[in-house]
Amino acid sequence: MAVGQNVLRKEGVEKLTGAARYIDDIALEGMLYGKTIRSPLARGLIKSISFDTDFDWSPITVCDWRDIPGENFVALIENDQPLLVARDVRHAEEPILLIAAESRTLVEEAASRIRIEYEELTPVLSIEESLDCREIIYGDDNVFKRFLIARGEVDEGINQGDLIIEGCYRVPHQEQLYIEPQGMIAIPTDTGMTVLGSMQCPYYVHKALKQLFNLSDEQAVVIQTMTGGGFGGKEEYPSMIACHAALLAHKAQRPVKIIYDRAEDIAATTKRHPGVIRHRTAVTRDGRLTASEIDIVLDGGAYVTLTPVVLSRAAIHALGPYRCENVRITARAVATNTPPNGAFRGFGAPQVAFAYEMQMEKIALRLGIDPLELRRINMLKEGDITATGQQLRWSVGSEDVLNAAVERSHFREKQEAIQIERASGDSRKRRGVGLSFFFHGAGFTGSGEAKMKARAGIEITDQGRARVLSSSTEIGQGTQTIFCQIVADELGIGFDDVEIEETDTSRVPDSGPTVASRTCMVVGRVIQLAAREIKEKIKRFAAELFGAPEIDLMEGRFVEGGKVLASFAEVAREYAAQNGKLKVESQYASPMGVEWDDDSYSGDAYPAFSWGAEVAEVEVDMDTFEVSVLKITTAQDIGRAIHPLLAAGQIEGGTLQAVGYGLTEELVWDQGRIVNRMLTNYIIPTSMDAPDMETVIVEKEYPHGPFGAKGVGELPMDGAAPAIAAAVLNATGAFVSEIPVTPERLMMIHEGTRRESNED
Amino acid sequence: MRGFEYASPTTKEQAVSLLGSSDDDAMALAGGTDLLSLMKDDIVAPRRLVNLKDVAELRGIRLLPDGSLRIGALVTVQELLDNAIVKRGYASLIHAADGITSPQIRAMGTVGGDLCQRPRCWYYRAGFGLLAKDKDGAALVPEGDNRYHAILGNTGPAYFVNPSSLAPALIALGAKLHIFGSGGQVEMNLENFFAAPTSANEKEYRLKPNEIVTEIIVPSAGGWKNATYEVRQKESLDWPLAAASVALKMSGKTIESARVVLGHVAPVPWRSGEAQAYLAGKTISEQVAETAGTLAVARASAMSHNGYKIQLARVAVKRAIMKAAQGGQR
Repeated sequence: MAVGQNVLRKEGVEKLTGAARYIDDIALEGMLYGKTIRSPLARGLIKSISFDTDFDWSPITVCDWRDIPGENFVALIENDQPLLVARDVRHAEEPILLIAAESRTLVEEAASRIRIEYEELTPVLSIEESLDCREIIYGDDNVFKRFLIARGEVDEGINQGDLIIEGCYRVPHQEQLYIEPQGMIAIPTDTGMTVLGSMQCPYYVHKALKQLFNLSDEQAVVIQTMTGGGFGGKEEYPSMIACHAALLAHKAQRPVKIIYDRAEDIAATTKRHPGVIRHRTAVTRDGRLTASEIDIVLDGGAYVTLTPVVLSRAAIHALGPYRCENVRITARAVATNTPPNGAFRGFGAPQVAFAYEMQMEKIALRLGIDPLELRRINMLKEGDITATGQQLRWSVGSEDVLNAAVERSHFREKQEAIQIERASGDSRKRRGVGLSFFFHGAGFTGSGEAKMKARAGIEITDQGRARVLSSSTEIGQGTQTIFCQIVADELGIGFDDVEIEETDTSRVPDSGPTVASRTCMVVGRVIQLAAREIKEKIKRFAAELFGAPEIDLMEGRFVEGGKVLASFAEVAREYAAQNGKLKVESQYASPMGVEWDDDSYSGDAYPAFSWGAEVAEVEVDMDTFEVSVLKITTAQDIGRAIHPLLAAGQIEGGTLQAVGYGLTEELVWDQGRIVNRMLTNYIIPTSMDAPDMETVIVEKEYPHGPFGAKGVGELPMDGAAPAIAAAVLNATGAFVSEIPVTPERLMMIHEGTRRESNED
Repeated sequence: MRGFEYASPTTKEQAVSLLGSSDDDAMALAGGTDLLSLMKDDIVAPRRLVNLKDVAELRGIRLLPDGSLRIGALVTVQELLDNAIVKRGYASLIHAADGITSPQIRAMGTVGGDLCQRPRCWYYRAGFGLLAKDKDGAALVPEGDNRYHAILGNTGPAYFVNPSSLAPALIALGAKLHIFGSGGQVEMNLENFFAAPTSANEKEYRLKPNEIVTEIIVPSAGGWKNATYEVRQKESLDWPLAAASVALKMSGKTIESARVVLGHVAPVPWRSGEAQAYLAGKTISEQVAETAGTLAVARASAMSHNGYKIQLARVAVKRAIMKAAQGGQR
């Protein structure tokens, strides 16, 4: 069996030996280097563009918006974002011109010879400025999207409570910071355009490319090259770069490469949405939530892009994994003149998770109830109903993860030890322990999967091996490996006899984007179904071939009654000779009874949730307010772990990314531009900052996932920031309602010089 | 990065003759860990790079007859850390070098380069100039994002902090610097090498475009307790938020004299006369260290966003003194 085993990853050797070729490793005959000329202003109108007449422009290809054959937009949700600014600049770093030349030096030189004059307009740079509507930059009121989730009677619930507790929480931008920056090569072909590059979603790029040049499905070809991380940052943005490269390539009729350097990548591409989240919770003295009112405002940036979908996930997760009969969640996303915020691992959930968990800490503090006990009293269990009215029917590992995290971390013993230590005198280094409890819906929200109808397939090669056909991308998380494991076991052949087709839109069907913790649970399921169908077909064929009705396929061999009749490869070749290529394509269908109503925003938001609980131990230096995370113990229910080591890798990596979100990562803005666009001043935790991590994988199998698997990609991003903030609270008594918990911020809070907005 | 000419001399005389009258003409390349990123970001664009790495006489660490230590400007941070003499007698230097936590930078970065690296001020690194002014000539730092900027010596026009990790420790140890130029060799106290610029065409240290740092001479630290303490935001690949180096000449249990130098708090490594004067004649205790820390920041003033650095600097001085008292153990 391959499932559940830590088999070698499919592309591992290639990566380890340096043989893997990333987009910037590829150079083509006659290729030009492209560059994007961007606005330094956050908001304004272009008055004029002039090109230095002393410079020889003949070897330079220049594109502006007039070179776009059709309409000027990036195909996403609202189609409101132009590929190139025609007149109205809506955010700093917005693309205006594209230039290309044979060398990078020449392109830089040309860039310095372009002068753009603007008429400056007053930019809207924060959620507060957007909400006060002094400047209107979108619609009538700067609001991109609104959601309302309502359940029960909030007024009644408030009356039932003994206490009303309010909190206001602020969460920042966060940069994805994949190792490999964004990059694309566009190649004009006789019939259309081929684009290769670093991306999560080849069919998003395919759609944008078709729209740009009015191409057919076949004329536009998109190929994913080896990709050095995505974290959501390569979900929607690659469509923009691909179209830019393609515009230049079309005009020059030569291949064009565009690679962003780190500074451009940080400055211009999408970030996690910052937000302000307010909670008003009614509780009984014994700790039961009787009503919860939550208001979410996210900053969408200058264009709609994926903001409505992020906002929706934020709203659905806003109450947290808790029971409450009376809920009212209002959510808004507003426009600002900043680069559009977009997809980032967690997709709205880490923002609200920090808020709901700190609200639980605040409730525990006010009621004098132990924070762990408060979670136990209110946690969702199997059979319970969520804020959207979804009854949790299966695979609910909530209690299991909480118990596992508490036991493995010795949470109780640590709490007591800290109390004793505290009582014995004031140390300048104080320890603290904190816990968080969280959940994450796997797959697209609501009716997303039903509409998407993800497709994937399997074909049997001439060598008699199984080849997986899917557009789900390998971005470091292990897609290729787990798909092969699923096929191997479902089909009954060896892991090494399964291979993966290149992620090329001319060869693989649209499996939907590689996002939303959906690759294993949703696409893995489709692949499992395809494997099942292949097995049925080839078994039937073999049964006839050998006149053996009871024949079965196991570990690559056809057997009957304990006797080996033939190898899989032999039968597969015979099948091909008689019937032609054996190829099966399957499509996703929502499990029976999973229903969602978009109008009332209620129902089964996700087919399944993954569950997590995390304990953080910190040491705070009470003179410098440095916070060291000593250890994180995390227990996560992800259903069956197809590849336990890769799953643990996802959990550890996501947790560390969340440590950065909670402690150090802060973008500094000046007039709508990011000032800290380097790794020396945008501070992510390195391996040396990584705490000890203990990971417990809980496997509550999901009946409609492949071998019981759910999603693991995003859940690990949700828990660390609140667990650390809770540990800091335990250590110092300082209640943190805004992340990151930098030493500076902590000192301010501790010294009370900064009035906490939630204490109003 | 723009194109440039590359020269690789083998003597310091050749090196100096290949340098020019401005950074636009030529710049000296040692480890390149700072210079190359400045060139990539188009903050500097020399027409020629003069590689110093083949100038053998700039290498090596050795004891001089008078007991002082000669450190060649090309000695890498890692060589410094691995040197037995440095390890034995110069704890504060080891602490400071140890704070340069990236193995790659330790392997390539040099002692001379550490002293001559340019400030990490993000306005400077984003192309607003060393004095960080907007297009109308107004200073950006005092009302801008100055969380990492100076809390001492910050009356302008320079508001950045000196980025050197080793300078505070070397100054506290009484180090001298040798500079070689067309006029031959000059010796100066390392402390005097640094000066806050008063105009846009000055640097934060006194080295002409056609001069190079050749070696650093550190007096014997016998009888001096010394240590460095850094406060940092993360454990690797970053500069400290504040640091302090102390050297205490001991007479039994009493401090005979003290040198206290703060790093990353002012446009120059900041010698604290107040703390030094106070420490002379005292016996080391937690209380004495605390008071010295408080005195070291007595004249500090916060800009809009860097008040917390005053606290960090105070703590760094206190802890450096306590660390020195404990024999400089890490």
